[in-house]
Amino acid sequence: MRNVATIMRRELFAYFVSPMAYVVIIFFLGVMSLLFALYIGSGRAEAQMVDLFHTMVFLLLMVAPVITMGLIAQERNLGTIEILLSKPVRDAEVALGKYLAAVVLLLIILALSFIYPLIMEKYGSPDWGEILVGYLGVFLAGAAFIAVGLFASSLMSNQIAAAVLAILILLFFWLVGWISYSVSQQLGDIVRHLSVFENIQDLERGIFDTKPLIFFLSICYYFIFLTVRSLEQRRA
Amino acid sequence: MIEVKGLTKFYGPHPAVMDVTFQVSEGEVVAFLGPNGAGKSTTMRVLTCYLPPTYGEVKVRGYDVMEDSLEVRRNIGYLPERIALYPEMRVRQYLDYVGRLQGLAGQALRSGIDRVIEQCGLEERAQAIIGTLSLGYRQRVGLAQALIHNPPVLILDEPTIGLDPNQIREVRELIKSLAGQHTVLLSTHILPEAQMTCQRVIIINRGRIVAEDTPEALTAQLRRAQTTLVRVRGGDDALAKQILDLPQVNNVRPGDEPETWIVDSELGAECQADVARLVVEKGLDLLELRPVEMSLEEVFRELTMTENIENSE
Ligand SMILES: Nc1ncnc2c1ncn2[C@@H]1O[C@H](COP(=O)(O)OP(=O)(O)OP(=O)(O)O)[C@@H](O)[C@H]1O
Ligand SMILES: [Mg+2]
Repeated sequence: MRNVATIMRRELFAYFVSPMAYVVIIFFLGVMSLLFALYIGSGRAEAQMVDLFHTMVFLLLMVAPVITMGLIAQERNLGTIEILLSKPVRDAEVALGKYLAAVVLLLIILALSFIYPLIMEKYGSPDWGEILVGYLGVFLAGAAFIAVGLFASSLMSNQIAAAVLAILILLFFWLVGWISYSVSQQLGDIVRHLSVFENIQDLERGIFDTKPLIFFLSICYYFIFLTVRSLEQRRA
Repeated sequence: MIEVKGLTKFYGPHPAVMDVTFQVSEGEVVAFLGPNGAGKSTTMRVLTCYLPPTYGEVKVRGYDVMEDSLEVRRNIGYLPERIALYPEMRVRQYLDYVGRLQGLAGQALRSGIDRVIEQCGLEERAQAIIGTLSLGYRQRVGLAQALIHNPPVLILDEPTIGLDPNQIREVRELIKSLAGQHTVLLSTHILPEAQMTCQRVIIINRGRIVAEDTPEALTAQLRRAQTTLVRVRGGDDALAKQILDLPQVNNVRPGDEPETWIVDSELGAECQADVARLVVEKGLDLLELRPVEMSLEEVFRELTMTENIENSE
């Protein structure tokens, strides 16, 4: 566990010593603020939070691959992975440490975005229960996206390639629901369970359910597991 | 301390190391000597648990690299061939990171960092950003991270590569000073370096061990013959023939430049004197007469002559 913390701390340092963390935060909050201003202006008070959460998930679809692209690919590219993996550290600790660093950055972004519901307090009376459930949904989706991005990064030694691969995998999970309408009923039901879009909808509306919770946690678990396997392969 | 038995490593279908067997005992400093692509780095990567062996048994302090990988890694300090460090970190911060990964904490960590900073001459650069360091200083940071936990076994892959002559001397001194308390396996393709720093040399070529001995014995083995370069103004094939007829001369072949010949002969100054006398007696100008250092390739040819290793050149 100590090793996880050590690796996580180094990655967080790397995020904040480079422009990476700031660029991502500014991009995320910039787009959000613009849309928020539009929503407030249009006066569609009741739909506001749902739309904001939906936008957040969509933005994370693009932001998560950028946050994660360098985590392992950069170590391969620089060659630092050779020293790292010859230290007495388990592959799972490497994967988890890096994963958690990205999750902490995600939490920072989400914490800063909390300003929007706070502003909304002034305009009406938002339901805080629903907002917290919505945030839980956004967080779970983001954490799952990061796991996917981490796995993509473990396959590549080029950051951009890792980001593109991550976006492709995430787009698959986002759009897979659409296939469900053009295939048979049974297959369609199965495919819909895989869709991020379908799974996030209830949480965004503030309706808590264990099914999406299990869905996102499974994605996290499965892709971290794949990352560990990928590290074990030791492709030089 | 290090036991390698029948190590074979394939990269895809290509073998990089074939059936390599050797041992290093406690406190020994051993050089792994071989030309480019011999399989030195591959063997070291298996020893440091970075790559798994395809076949064979590899043990460090009795721990197997496959079964007790973490324990092996605790006992090893590793300086890879391509020293890759995080450019955004500061030297001290990086050593702190590596020390923690090696399991150090608190006072042990702090004193470990201070010790290697002093040992590797990094006092003035402790707060420098690694990305701004010169190659030589990066090499020192690489050594420092390998030494931070005072490991019983050190694996150093070409530790002097890319350094200036002064730094090379310093690093060799440092390695010598480690002998005794540490077991060291270092790789190099410079024969004199192996002779200078090590008690034993393992020569590896094309993935196989071709010789293993003390530096003295190896040099003696190589000294059975000597090679001399002769440059004569106006020299021709007739002269070459006459040189070949001299006693003790085994072979004469044209050198890379015009009017030069390479003379292979028995050991000793006698032959050189004969050649000089011959040239002068013929009224020609002797421009140059000097012993030629055997290149590593020639050393291998020499050492592997009887083993009949196919030569692709
Ligand atoms: N990652 C890799 N994938 C495929 N082949 C490799 C890889 N690494 C090394 N090789 C091959 O394995 C052989 C041994 O390489 P190795 O790096 O162990 O040699 P070396 O003795 O360290 O040489 P050098 O003195 O150049 O460092 C070479 O033929 C090399 O081309
Ligand atoms: Mg090498």
